[in-house]
Amino acid sequence: MTTLLSTPAGWPRVVTAGFGAPDPLDLDAAVAGGAFDGLKKAIRTHGPTGTIALLRVSGLRGRGGGSYPTAEKWHACATAEGSVRHVVANGYEADPATHVARALMEERPYAVVEGVAIAAFAVGATESYVAVRAEYGEAVRRLREAVARAEAAGLIGANVLGTGRDIFIEVRPVRGAYMLGEETVLLKGLEGKRGQPEQRPPYPTEKGLWGRPTVVNDVVTLGAVGWIVANGAEAYAAIGDPATPGTVVVQVAGAVEEPGIAEVPIGTPLREIVGLAGKMASGHRLKAVVVGGVTGGILPPRELDTPYAAAALRDVGAHVGSGSILVADERTCVVDLATLLTRYCADEACGKTIPCRIGLRRLAEIGERAVSGHARPNDPILLADLSEDIVASALCGHERAATTPLTSVLRYFRPELDEHLLRSTCPAGVCHPVAVASAGSAT
Amino acid sequence: MSRIPGMGIARGMTITLRRFFQPAVTIRYPEVDPGIPPRNRGRLQLLHDENGALKCETCFQCAQACPIECIDMGGVDTKGRYHIHWGPAETYGERRGESALRRSGRPVPDAAYAHFAPIDLAPLEAILARHDHDPARLLAMLEETQEAYGHLPVAALKHLSFRTAAPYALVYGTASYYRQFRFAPADDAGATDAGARRPTDAGFLAALDASLGTGPRAAGAGPA
Ligand SMILES: Cc1cc2nc3c(=O)[nH]c(=O)nc-3n(C[C@H](O)[C@H](O)[C@H](O)COP(=O)(O)O)c2cc1C
Ligand code: SF4
Ligand code: FES
Repeated sequence: MTTLLSTPAGWPRVVTAGFGAPDPLDLDAAVAGGAFDGLKKAIRTHGPTGTIALLRVSGLRGRGGGSYPTAEKWHACATAEGSVRHVVANGYEADPATHVARALMEERPYAVVEGVAIAAFAVGATESYVAVRAEYGEAVRRLREAVARAEAAGLIGANVLGTGRDIFIEVRPVRGAYMLGEETVLLKGLEGKRGQPEQRPPYPTEKGLWGRPTVVNDVVTLGAVGWIVANGAEAYAAIGDPATPGTVVVQVAGAVEEPGIAEVPIGTPLREIVGLAGKMASGHRLKAVVVGGVTGGILPPRELDTPYAAAALRDVGAHVGSGSILVADERTCVVDLATLLTRYCADEACGKTIPCRIGLRRLAEIGERAVSGHARPNDPILLADLSEDIVASALCGHERAATTPLTSVLRYFRPELDEHLLRSTCPAGVCHPVAVASAGSAT
Repeated sequence: MSRIPGMGIARGMTITLRRFFQPAVTIRYPEVDPGIPPRNRGRLQLLHDENGALKCETCFQCAQACPIECIDMGGVDTKGRYHIHWGPAETYGERRGESALRRSGRPVPDAAYAHFAPIDLAPLEAILARHDHDPARLLAMLEETQEAYGHLPVAALKHLSFRTAAPYALVYGTASYYRQFRFAPADDAGATDAGARRPTDAGFLAALDASLGTGPRAAGAGPA
């Protein structure tokens, strides 16, 4: 189990509040702790439009990577043309190194169920799905059990709380490649088709699952919804950065002593977040942080004062992504690291479009030439050009994001990259073919 | 539609007669543009790149997109091998193997072609019935089919397509896209992940650990 890092007293805990309960499936205990208060309040006090208005005030944004305002998404779906709507909770957690969503689904299955139910109530969906990565067997089991128990208690299912509204939730394990985390791909998976993204617009809120208006939200986003409705929009809006309020659950891993996940107010400086995971491993020096998971930007120590918020991260060439923050010390070669990430992204790309099928492969090859000592003099120019072209012509967010690791090396670690390109040496001593080549030729 | 019976035939015959007495013309195509409609693609042909390799990536997009399904890349030829309606099956097969290895980590050895053998359809029929023959449940049906037969026999895919009315290209496209499916029994050579070029998540995580120094820093660890 991923450890929940202790955060300073006074930091609000919205999503991770009930973590560590002896039996996460104990409905009575969960209800005593406030579970389904939000759903009841949404149904009895606010109504569908009132609930969406409340979320708008709270300023909640999607935690799946796009940081899109949740209220706008729900509103678009609720007002889209169509008689049948769906809500899909994205519990796929594509990033293989991240466990935030799994922790939530296992530790607070009722928070996920409640969030889906509130979304379904707000947009008018009868059938909703929680799509969970099939490898997360325990999360699937607990969510199924939670749905069954909540239904038996009349909190969801037919005629919810005597309103005459039906809210059915189905837990669907989905299995496949990295791309399944992307929303249109996830919908394809649920429809039984090959996992390739769709052109947008139309957005899923207009044409989603089986062509019907669909809300796709990260389970972590939905995990906060119950709390927000129960405690009021103002309480949430007061947390963290006033422009984009709330908390975010991040995972800090890599060369730190206590890797784990933590709920932090948005806008917390990266330095402080990294500090939650303890000291650097055995006295090593921090060299870089990868912010955003496998498509993350590689930032040098001097950017550690950047607040963890979508806009600020974009400015420094990183992104929220999967919520993962990987810490590297001076033993890591950033060129090697970026190449590894890019190769993974290229291999996981779906193959639908040229930037995806060929662009990413060529990009990974540039990195591979650098780490193997076969770089060409114009590779930095090619890297910058190709990345720009991929970003401009990409069909889905994956290709755009996949250019981040290498372009951030170009931006922040140019001297180290140049050592590889011009002198065939690896300052960190990681890239072996390069080091070998230098032993023979240089000095 | 005319109100006078036989009028249509008369009009048709007039056109025939008029054409009959017109001189034959040869249009000097392609020097002279005969006025080809903009969406005409002519005969489908796979192109080669400057190295002589087929440009087709075997991505099955064309077969899946073709509205009238004239492109059936999963079709079976008289030799019992995969073929396409244009071009030699052998070159296509070569390229297909390479592409399958790169994209899914699964080689497609010729042994796989042997799996057209008829199968006992009873378990598959039970699966289909359980899912209402609903093509939207294709992924779940494929998983259960693999559980029932140990792999996805081609006969099962054909039957799935037939019974759900989902185009075969879609069934095959879906089955070949997801990594968990295999087309040969697990003990067959090539059916395992061994030697796969595509890194599994586990392989990637190990390399990541090595790169970050959080795991064994294997010599040469990094991009495989
Ligand atoms: C390649 C790729 C992978 C993604 N993986 C995930 C994922 O694992 N989990 C997730 O919630 N969103 C993921 N997303 C984002 C989703 O497409 C979608 O924006 C999100 O689920 C919407 O939820 P939100 O509004 O709550 O953020 C991914 C996007 C891309 C482009
Ligand atoms: S399979 Fe893909 S690459 Fe090959 S011809 Fe069809 S669309 Fe083109
Ligand atoms: S279109 Fe293939 S990964 Fe985006």
